[in-house]
Amino acid sequence: MGHINKRGKLDFKITFSIIVFFVFFASFTCITNAQALLQTGMAAPQFSLKNIENEKISLSQYSRKKAVIILFWATWSANSPRALKRFERFYKKYKDKGIQVIGINVENQTISDKDVGNIKEVVKKLQITFPVLLDRGLKTFHSYHVMALPSTIVVSGGKISYELPALPIIGTENMFNYLLALIGESPRGKVMPMHMPRYDVIADTNLGRRFAKRKIYVMASLLFEKAIKKDPEYIVPYIALAELYGSEGKNTEAEKTLRKALSVEPDNVVTMSELGYLLSKTGKIKEAIKILGRAVKKNSYTPAYYYLAYALSKDGKLKEALKLFKKAISLNPYEPAIYLLRAEVYENSKMLKEAASDYRKALELFLGDPLLIQ
Amino acid sequence: MKKKVTMAGKQVRHKNGGFSFVFLHLFLYLYIFSLPVIFLPVPNVYARQENRVKAEVLLYNESITLFEDGKVDKAIELAQEAIKANPKYSDAYNRLGYMLLKKGRINDALDAFKSAMKINPGLHSSQTGTGLALLKKGDAKGAGAIVKKALILNPHPSKAHYVLGLVYEKLKDYKNAIKQFKKGIKTYRSGDNGTH
Repeated sequence: MGHINKRGKLDFKITFSIIVFFVFFASFTCITNAQALLQTGMAAPQFSLKNIENEKISLSQYSRKKAVIILFWATWSANSPRALKRFERFYKKYKDKGIQVIGINVENQTISDKDVGNIKEVVKKLQITFPVLLDRGLKTFHSYHVMALPSTIVVSGGKISYELPALPIIGTENMFNYLLALIGESPRGKVMPMHMPRYDVIADTNLGRRFAKRKIYVMASLLFEKAIKKDPEYIVPYIALAELYGSEGKNTEAEKTLRKALSVEPDNVVTMSELGYLLSKTGKIKEAIKILGRAVKKNSYTPAYYYLAYALSKDGKLKEALKLFKKAISLNPYEPAIYLLRAEVYENSKMLKEAASDYRKALELFLGDPLLIQ
Repeated sequence: MKKKVTMAGKQVRHKNGGFSFVFLHLFLYLYIFSLPVIFLPVPNVYARQENRVKAEVLLYNESITLFEDGKVDKAIELAQEAIKANPKYSDAYNRLGYMLLKKGRINDALDAFKSAMKINPGLHSSQTGTGLALLKKGDAKGAGAIVKKALILNPHPSKAHYVLGLVYEKLKDYKNAIKQFKKGIKTYRSGDNGTH
């Protein structure tokens, strides 16, 4: 009997360990990759969407291509036709050299028949020959953390190797040079490659983010620090660590971390934006405006615009702030943070009707429920 | 002479031995002939029930896909088919209500929500939907009353906060509208992804 009891206990221990192991790891694998900012080096999220002819197309279909260029666009976005035309020319020239372009339309949260008609018209008018997919419900848009429209993501070997929000003059040329180099053509200018972090550094950062999401801050900060130590040029763990400090109310540490990141890469628009926002929240308005002003000039990184708008409102420049909020919305109308910050500005200015409207819009974007939003 | 069968199989005489022999045979005959009656029809009944359940769920899921593809009319038809397949399908009634609301058929939507709540009186989503329908009808007061009810013991209250915010916005009570929208955002961020 004693033997049976011992074995029973052993079996129970093994079963319990297995259950704990699976529950622990399942809890992590169930979380979506919360990489909201820099994604270079990350695995490209898979998608399977219908094209405008109602046929299903998946990213995995093009896994053998040297590069898959994903262009997020909408008919209402001012620069989208320019991006579509540019990529059509590139696609026609290099499609036999391992280049695939996919246009993902993000017209609206719910795409109506009328929207489909408009999209088809634009595709016909611009004579687009690459597949144009419809992202109904904006799931793919959110999974790629698109910041502005149009936006380009280059997927190479299953990983995101390049990302470009909007269509800035210098950045766009650099991206095309990168693509030419990738397919073995001679680029027209010097290629400025994006920093590609090591796999284990990305893994540490991602695990840290998951711990942070579960409010296990000690583990999260340890992993971020480990990632920074392994690859001091990789900006993501700095941003994540600063975010962590911010959520714990440790603004001094957050500022220190962001300044360190900025010293590593002084022109990084994400770091500038995050530091600017932190400074505007902590009352260092003048410096915040200076840094954010520099970030806005860099490229169309939407958070730089609405953070600058927020800082300007704190400096009493409401009119300028509202103008910048409008600009940010024109770049990415699906970003709830824009409406949340503008609502706060309206509320502080006693413009309650406008504040209510923006809080409502933010909540609608968070819920993303086409059944409820009438 | 009457016999008695012992445990060891030895035959002994017994007063009522004939009866037990007859009873044993009777039991065996009944058992053999009742086998098809007992076993065969049972799986058939379950199989049919299983198919019925599958049919309504398939119809309901297809309705969701069609709605996501922007085909609202066809989605409504399939939700109605799902209800025909199972008239106790409260989720289908609830979803049908929201889709009808989307098409501007407010009274039909209210009927669908009512049916859903008749089957499942604690269906918060249908209470919220009723509030939304009443608000569309211009009855902000009635809408407010039912949505406040939807907030009681609601594990996923962000959508109800949203509709209550709409009610206050309609009543031009922007202070309370802001309060409700903020509560909706807060509950959403704390993990509420309530479904219909």
